[in-house]
Amino acid sequence: MEGLESAATTVAADLVERIRRFVRAAGAGTPGDSIATPDAGCDTFDTLVREAFAYQVSHIAPVRALAAARGIGPDDVHTWRDVPAVPALAYKSQDLLPDDVDPARVLTFRSSGTLSRTGSRAAAGGTTGTLPGEARRSVHRHPFPSLYRETIDAAFPGSCLPRRSGLHTSSPGAEGSPGADRSPGAEPALSDAVPMLSLIPARADVPDSSLSFMVNHVLERWGAAGSATVLGPAGLNADAAAAWVRAAGGPGNSAGPTGPVDRTGGEPPRPCLVLATGLALAGWLERLEEADTVCPLPPGSVVFETGGSKGRSHALGRAELLAAVARRLAVPPERVVREYGMTELTSQLYTRVLTGGDPDLFMPPPWVRVHVLDPETLDEAAPGTLGLVAIFDLANLGSAVHLLTEDLGVLEEGGLRLAGRARGAALRGCSLTAEEMMAPR
Amino acid sequence: MTSPGPWASTAVLSADDLARCAERLAAARPALAAIPDERLLAAWNRTVEAFLDPRSPERRAIQGDLVRSTGLSPAGLEAGLESVLGGVRVGIRGRPVEELFAEARALREGEQGRIAGAAESPGAGAEPGEPEGTETDSTDGFALVVLASNLPALAVQPLVAALAARRPVLLKSPTAEPVFAAAFVRALAERLPALGGAVAAVTWPGGDAEREAPVLARATVVVAYGGDEALADLAARARTLRGDRGTRFVPYGPKTSLAVVGRDVPPGAPLDAVAAGLARDVALFDQRGCLSVAAVYVEEDGPADPPAGEAPGTGSAPTGVGEHRRSRALADALARELRALARRWPPGPIGAAEAAAVQQMRAEAELRGLYRPPLALREGTVVVEPDSGFQATPGLRTVPIHPLPAPLDGACLTEILTPWRDRLQGVALAGFGGVGSGTRAEALTPALAALGVSRITPPGALQSPDARWHNGGVEPLAVFL
Repeated sequence: MEGLESAATTVAADLVERIRRFVRAAGAGTPGDSIATPDAGCDTFDTLVREAFAYQVSHIAPVRALAAARGIGPDDVHTWRDVPAVPALAYKSQDLLPDDVDPARVLTFRSSGTLSRTGSRAAAGGTTGTLPGEARRSVHRHPFPSLYRETIDAAFPGSCLPRRSGLHTSSPGAEGSPGADRSPGAEPALSDAVPMLSLIPARADVPDSSLSFMVNHVLERWGAAGSATVLGPAGLNADAAAAWVRAAGGPGNSAGPTGPVDRTGGEPPRPCLVLATGLALAGWLERLEEADTVCPLPPGSVVFETGGSKGRSHALGRAELLAAVARRLAVPPERVVREYGMTELTSQLYTRVLTGGDPDLFMPPPWVRVHVLDPETLDEAAPGTLGLVAIFDLANLGSAVHLLTEDLGVLEEGGLRLAGRARGAALRGCSLTAEEMMAPR
Repeated sequence: MTSPGPWASTAVLSADDLARCAERLAAARPALAAIPDERLLAAWNRTVEAFLDPRSPERRAIQGDLVRSTGLSPAGLEAGLESVLGGVRVGIRGRPVEELFAEARALREGEQGRIAGAAESPGAGAEPGEPEGTETDSTDGFALVVLASNLPALAVQPLVAALAARRPVLLKSPTAEPVFAAAFVRALAERLPALGGAVAAVTWPGGDAEREAPVLARATVVVAYGGDEALADLAARARTLRGDRGTRFVPYGPKTSLAVVGRDVPPGAPLDAVAAGLARDVALFDQRGCLSVAAVYVEEDGPADPPAGEAPGTGSAPTGVGEHRRSRALADALARELRALARRWPPGPIGAAEAAAVQQMRAEAELRGLYRPPLALREGTVVVEPDSGFQATPGLRTVPIHPLPAPLDGACLTEILTPWRDRLQGVALAGFGGVGSGTRAEALTPALAALGVSRITPPGALQSPDARWHNGGVEPLAVFL
């Protein structure tokens, strides 16, 4: 996959590299409207915003069309807010791949859901209507995987990785941030590697999943020897998960040195990282509940939970899920990190729970901006009020840097609190349920 | 002897209460059958008229609750009630209620007649819609009608048919809207106390198996509006509880409607009239009904390739076949009418989730350069969409207009709409030579009927079915007799 980077032209490659430098230097800083140049060798955020937009207008036809419809050109962009937001729906209907990259050398990610059916009605422009109850899938053809990896390297460790001591501090740049004890992008020392148990399908099983791409990178970069993936095409291998946890040596477990997690004699068990979608995590916990058994992880372990199950839900509410994680995995709520990401974007937002942050407030990394728009007017919503979430992701150079998502949320203290999704087109004729009627307005 | 009052309550009933209610209804058919049509029709009509009158005590008593529970604006609710109740008034054109009662009487008195369920359409060739389930002792007992919450006054359609068939009926209101059916049944029984033991309107949380068991065990007919999953669950439980005695189960699942506009609509006043009717069919009930128009298919003047890039909604005059001239003209007219209707029937409170979905659609249309006449979000959204695939609407009076090449025929519609077969309820039809023998409209109806369409009307009339409407292709008396 590394060879994919040659998909970019010289122009794109230069901009990618400059954004990479910015991302690397910015690390896990504090989000804000205007951040200082993080490094003397870096461009400013606003400079990169303008150049990224100019690149997309030049090379991505739908972005160019939207900009033309709004009468906005690169010279009209002074801040990220000036860049027209591309609707997430466009990833279901339009090709957003830049025209100066080799389409045969890009990564293709698809959202979960069912494929739309394409009919044969050609005379009037074809038909791509969906079947009753069907949802169209987003397709993100990503030409810049190195940029993708750079964002993971810069943001993931500080927000999600357990430290050997199991402790994090709340000071950016101190312990817990990517630059504290290793320079971003550097290979971690073997002693820093984290035992990881993944309940997210391996990239080999779902090559079009951006989540699997990310988790694959995390496992390769920071996973200790013996880290395992226990969710595959056949579903969750709960026995393998239990065996892995026993070997990890949590309280009450008597792991030997030959277990899947390599420990040499006498060392205390290393904190682990469990990676899971909410759906998979709930499924595992339900099976542990049914069997009335526990899989206690070593102290300081972290559970990383992400959505990844659009259109499906689990029976456990949030509080129940956290209680079950504490009861069955011995991981307290303040060590359950949540991720907010989507196929259409490159970067992710995380809760900063490991450094004492609000467990439900997603914080953007410094190269990402979030704002919330009034659902009726698309003007900026007043702080603290519910609206449509729009995200500016500088690393999304290969499709749309400014995305109007289908999510609803509230902006608080620079972070995002999610509050639902757009109610998609649905058959509701004479059969709307009470629950739908009572949904938040 | 004084008749007992009806069970009519907005409070959630217990399983014991429901068991007593079911027991009383199960024995009520002889008494109900003894009421002469004239008395029943008179009481019915006085009650309907009372609920149509915004100044009546009955209406005033429920107005606030209905506005809150339906999510419609007061004016939107008023229009919705007029539409639904207007179709079940006595003495309206065609006398559908009187006909329903007369036919039921004839059948009860032993006259042979086949009740054919056919699409309510000119020359429709639909197969009769048959209720599902076994037919055993359905000549006795009562009907359970499980109502949905998105349309006000939906209860009157099954209720009038049940009364014509002299089938005692238990109306189960959704907990989100427990008001209308209870108030209507109470008002009806006040005007005709003999009905008191044979009609009931109560509520409980749907899907509560324990609470529903005594009702399902005794109901010989179950009519249910709801989602596919809820309907399947209810049907399974009814079958289990009734065993060999059988249950006639009539499901009304999610459906949607559309409009088809042919070339025979000239520009100017005729086009404006079609647009006005379509706007009504879109805006009524804020597009939440199964008869709400979700998309419009327009026959262009000839085979048309989509233009490479249309200017976004500038309102400029469309030109030429290749630029979807007819579709754009209709889009402009429909937008004008929707804007006017938004003043007359403002939408209810706009939900953020619905707005989010529509904003996505609008922005995508802009990005694709599709033609979209300017409208505020609360007025509606009209987009000329060259992709002819049918999709459910995100709501908020959102209508894609799909240009189709001429000649537009049944085969073309079948090709486009087949994935939605049996999910389609109604079609507003215009510009195909009018209704009658030998017209292009007549040629289209078999294809539409084969797709499951049960109602074809001119624009503006789609959402106002009368008592004879074969909802889902099912003859109303066949449900309850």
